[in-house]
Amino acid sequence: MAKEKMLTNDPEILRMAKKHKKPGPGQYVLFFLLLLYTLFCFLPFLLVVISAFSDESSILKKGFSYFPDAWSMIAMKSVFEYGRQLLVSYGVTIFITVVGTFTGLMLQSMYAYSLTRPDFQLRKLLNIWIIIPMLFQGGMLSAYLIFTGWYHLKDTLIILILPHAVGTMNIIILRTYIANSIPNELNEAAKIDGAGDYRTFFQITLPLMKPSLAAVGFMMATGFWNEWQSALIYIDSKNKKPLQLLLVNIQKNIEMLMNSKDIPPEVMAIMGNKLPGNTITMATVLVVVGPILVVYPFFQKYFIKGLTVGSVKG
Amino acid sequence: MKGFFSNTWKNRAHVVLALPAFLVLLLFAYMSMFGLVIAFKQFDYTKGILGSSWNFPDNFKLLVVNKDKFLTITKNTIMYYFIFTLVGTFLNIVLAISIDQFVFKNAGRVMQTIMIIPVFISYAAVSFVVYAFLSKSPAGIVNGTILPLFGGEIKSFYQKASYWPWILTIVNIWHGVGYGSVLYMSVLAGIDQELYEAAKIDGANKWQQIWNITLPMLVPMVTVMLLLSVGGIMRSDTGLFYTVTRNIANLHSKTQTIDAFVLNQLLNNPNYGLTAATTFFQSVVGLFMMLLSNGIVRKMAPQNSLF
Repeated sequence: MAKEKMLTNDPEILRMAKKHKKPGPGQYVLFFLLLLYTLFCFLPFLLVVISAFSDESSILKKGFSYFPDAWSMIAMKSVFEYGRQLLVSYGVTIFITVVGTFTGLMLQSMYAYSLTRPDFQLRKLLNIWIIIPMLFQGGMLSAYLIFTGWYHLKDTLIILILPHAVGTMNIIILRTYIANSIPNELNEAAKIDGAGDYRTFFQITLPLMKPSLAAVGFMMATGFWNEWQSALIYIDSKNKKPLQLLLVNIQKNIEMLMNSKDIPPEVMAIMGNKLPGNTITMATVLVVVGPILVVYPFFQKYFIKGLTVGSVKG
Repeated sequence: MKGFFSNTWKNRAHVVLALPAFLVLLLFAYMSMFGLVIAFKQFDYTKGILGSSWNFPDNFKLLVVNKDKFLTITKNTIMYYFIFTLVGTFLNIVLAISIDQFVFKNAGRVMQTIMIIPVFISYAAVSFVVYAFLSKSPAGIVNGTILPLFGGEIKSFYQKASYWPWILTIVNIWHGVGYGSVLYMSVLAGIDQELYEAAKIDGANKWQQIWNITLPMLVPMVTVMLLLSVGGIMRSDTGLFYTVTRNIANLHSKTQTIDAFVLNQLLNNPNYGLTAATTFFQSVVGLFMMLLSNGIVRKMAPQNSLF
């Protein structure tokens, strides 16, 4: 099942595609429909960009629009200026993303490697050990009580990293890759040449795992970059707030207003002026989302491969 | 048994390699499973989990006392699971086949890249995009541009719960369908092209080819994916149900799922008894559904079962 090759790269199909000298009218209908769906996916991003560069007065008067009355750099500027917090949050997010992804990849590939050793009897138990958390979870509440009450990890960056560092699916993908794509003879040969178990893993297997590491790593990195829930639950201090929590907090102010029905309209109007401006909010969204949009196309090929590899059980 | 120990000693390097991830799971996954005992206790933060006294079945009685809330969040969780799974799977397949049939391969590749990107955007950010479309004042795109175009009335989306099953479904499609279709495309890429050639010689048109070759080839993968997803029936994405809905109380009747409820409790002085009983219920039903779905997959397609 599931060849790793994507259809679009398959030379035979490209050749067949060429054989259709003239695409029929159906192809143009399909082109139109796919274009519509692509626009559906793309237009929300465009609105973020346009709103970030719109003039606040235009949004207040005319509403959000793809064609604002006036453009302005104020929002982007103030984001980068009020931006001490933004800068700190960027630092926090980059830290947890980098440290989390590397720690996770290391821990998971070491575990996956030991699962693929043919003469290692304990591996059956180790396999069960990763399956159980997929079946049964304690849930947010008990996790919160244990992590804060026993481990005292409230308001630390560790709590944003370690619980997300090891995932069953990731280990299965890595395990499958080692089992299917790295011949065990290489390890045997290394051993005959006198390499120990650790050296065999770190110098032979690990470098050969690169494609699967890239795939899993990209998925983990996006996960860490986008993580907001743990931050919302556990993080209090400003200097530990990741970017996503900053976004959620901007929203909290608006939400608070909308939830309290008792506030008289006049007060609403006054408080309304204190809300972060619409354009500033959008500029913040743009700054938070931007890096993913830029980085993703370079990783697409690995990521698609990883998704496909993961569907084949080893 | 002696063989097992000497084998483990011989492989001690592999034990050491596995140990860190083993410990992380122990500390962060297994211990929180243990934490579920609070469902049977009168939890007191000052006494901690072990020190709190047992009170079974009082917490579970709270589920009955609060049965309106409990039924609403359970119903929402299951309802959205079905909507998202059915609509999502259908669109994943339609999109995968469309791109597969598309002859303009370069354009297809660019389009596919754009379609996948939304899945990498956090719902925390998505909630602002949704707001920019649906808000009333300042007018969002729907109220400011689309509805006036068709002469529709201005709608207060953030006040009325009945719009939200539609809104959340559309947001969910936007977020996940491009990504979801990738898996099916890999199956389509594996179909032997000679089947299509043979069908063409027999005079089958495109639709007949899709109906008689492509779809039957997808059936095993679709079945497996659907069955495996049943295990997650009690789980939901708080990003969608908590942040995108802005956790607005007016919308809870149609938008609050179990996970969104627990998160909301956790952040606002939780009723420990009720919340613990709810999560216990969620975990146990989840476990049961997981075992059930995996059992069926193992009967039908053993190579795809999770364990």
